[in-house]
Amino acid sequence: MDRGMARLGFFSILYSIPMNIIVYPMIVLWTLLGILMLPVFFGIWKVIADWDNSRIMQFFIWIYGKGWVAIMLPFVRFSRTGFTRDLIGSSYVMVINHLSFFDFYCMGYLPFRRIAAAVRSWPFRMPWYAPFMRLAGYLDVESLGPVGSVSVGADILSKGGSVLFYPEGHRSKDGTLQRFFSGAFKLSVETGAKILPLCLTGTDVLLPPGRWWMLPARVCLVALPPIDPGNFAGPLAHIEMRKYTRAVMTEAVQGMRQW
Amino acid sequence: MTDEKIIEIINASLAEEFELDSDKMVPEAVLYDDLGLDSLDKVDTVIVLENTFKIKIREQEAIREIKTLGDIHRFVINKIMNLSNPQDAETRN
Repeated sequence: MDRGMARLGFFSILYSIPMNIIVYPMIVLWTLLGILMLPVFFGIWKVIADWDNSRIMQFFIWIYGKGWVAIMLPFVRFSRTGFTRDLIGSSYVMVINHLSFFDFYCMGYLPFRRIAAAVRSWPFRMPWYAPFMRLAGYLDVESLGPVGSVSVGADILSKGGSVLFYPEGHRSKDGTLQRFFSGAFKLSVETGAKILPLCLTGTDVLLPPGRWWMLPARVCLVALPPIDPGNFAGPLAHIEMRKYTRAVMTEAVQGMRQW
Repeated sequence: MTDEKIIEIINASLAEEFELDSDKMVPEAVLYDDLGLDSLDKVDTVIVLENTFKIKIREQEAIREIKTLGDIHRFVINKIMNLSNPQDAETRN
């Protein structure tokens, strides 16, 4: 029995039965509907908004995430804090802890519509996601390498978008933050874009690694104050920034788990 | 400085900078697969070693051949030996 199961009472586990019966088919339907309708809406949006293709695709992925949140709402309580008015509207290198397959779906709950995710190569091999990820300008950091990732990431930031990293690289099996990779922080130092640390809890109760049975959960998303790369100097500034960011996120996640 | 001391310093500095588990820091540990380092970390490793030992190694071709932590140990030990006594370093090679 994992931590999520152990924490929940009998009625919550009972409530998970209709949750699993309803939510999985709804997600499949929502995904199929999205794939089928996308060409139509994409074309309409292209004419109306005159955005570039990656921005339109990022917007529709955000809408898809919103739909996922709506499907989950009867079974999952969502909350978010720290997203002040002055925070929204800027471009950031976002970093978020990774707990669940569903973490990226939660990005529909973010008040940012222009996000390109930096991910490993394997999601680009999933045929039902890959074309959309490519169209949205997502970064395949494994294929691009450090120099290519910084170059593509800098281009996204210069156009007003944000780049989202999972600096742990993998989902955490015990909920604690693993070591961070440096790519996000290198991009921040090279471009001067601030790091926006995002802390997520609850998706490890909803659907942790190794379990496909969803459980009701309370998902909390917290934005910490942005971190300025100008506060870190020297050839290893990105490493110092990475260590600092991990420390503040670790403290914040521990605090969120006490709520 | 003894080889053991150099190895100890290398392990401590890499564990500190890359937040590595010291239990996994054995000479056979492959940098990518066992220690979980990526290509950017490998570049940073060179800077960390240069700063720690006050040596210049980034231009050296042999760095490209490094695969394991033991390779790093041997590389740095040889480099330091070479600087202090080039003839001894040749004999050890």
